[in-house]
Amino acid sequence: MPIVTPSPSSRDLARAWFDIGTQSVGGGTSTLFLIRRVLVERKRWITHREFSEAWALSQLSPGIHLVALAGLLGRQMAGARGVIVSVAGMMVPATIITAIATAFLGEIAQHPLTIAALAGIGPVAGGMTIGLALTLARPVLQRGGLAILDVAVIAAAFGILLAGLAQTIVVIFVAGVLGALLLGRERPTSSDAPMS
Amino acid sequence: MWEQLGLFLVFLKASALAIGGLASLPLLRADLVPQYVTDAGIVQALAVGRLAPGPNGLYIVSLGYIVAGWTGALYALIGASVAPLVMLPATALARRWLLSAWFGGLVRGVSLATAGLLLATGVTIVQGSGTAPWQLALVVVTIAVTAHGKLHPAAMIVVGAAVGLVVGR
Repeated sequence: MPIVTPSPSSRDLARAWFDIGTQSVGGGTSTLFLIRRVLVERKRWITHREFSEAWALSQLSPGIHLVALAGLLGRQMAGARGVIVSVAGMMVPATIITAIATAFLGEIAQHPLTIAALAGIGPVAGGMTIGLALTLARPVLQRGGLAILDVAVIAAAFGILLAGLAQTIVVIFVAGVLGALLLGRERPTSSDAPMS
Repeated sequence: MWEQLGLFLVFLKASALAIGGLASLPLLRADLVPQYVTDAGIVQALAVGRLAPGPNGLYIVSLGYIVAGWTGALYALIGASVAPLVMLPATALARRWLLSAWFGGLVRGVSLATAGLLLATGVTIVQGSGTAPWQLALVVVTIAVTAHGKLHPAAMIVVGAAVGLVVGR
């Protein structure tokens, strides 16, 4: 039998997620490790197995996967109260810091030094976006013959958006329907990509 | 009033229809550029999202702030917090569906399309932020580093800023 730990108080839970939300920069795998270290290893509010299951399910969620993970783990730890405290604890402080940083950047955006720095940051932001797309596509490209259909979807979405042939939202809907009909041969692979 | 509601729905929709934090970028760009924000603003939001704490999908909050100040940041926060929580009722009511082949295919189709859309969005950002040789070199290095996944995401932003300060003046 697993050891049953009492559900944490809202204050303890909020503090744990506050730490997670403010100590992780850039999201992704590093945040994931931090969550596991705090909730599973240090506090023992969640078992390894519960964590793995919540993580797998969170990879199917719309939007930010880490929010879905916080919600699923929060429910496991303390029901509806746990959901609200966990998601707010992770998101609200990080949001305030992000907005203040944006305001600060806006203040100095017209300074010649900032303009020069942004001239270097622009290509990096573009490169990161392209790199992320490649990371998403990579598991597909290792699959040989069957990958042709997958590559066709990527290429079609790329071409349609660049040529302005259809709205982004239409592309996503059509790809979802086509995927459900044609690509359902295995489990989803979005979990391979560090997108959060 | 209606414009405010419309703006909120833009952020909610982008979070609800994208699988993964940054996947919302092509949707947001389609709705916000050029009416509410320029590509330069998108670059700023992406940079802040990488450097500030929290999930890097929080670039959406930075974008919200650029578009409409604290109100915009709030819209983005609510949209980004609510959309993923659809997983709570989904996992309780329809776990079997979530593990079915057709749902896997749906997620896969959306992820693949997102890869293509992000690719196109990345190319647009690169074109918009300048194509001097040193900038294109930064693009190539960043793609390699991102796809390789070893260096911390925030580090490349700092590198880009440093190179810009040295070369871009």
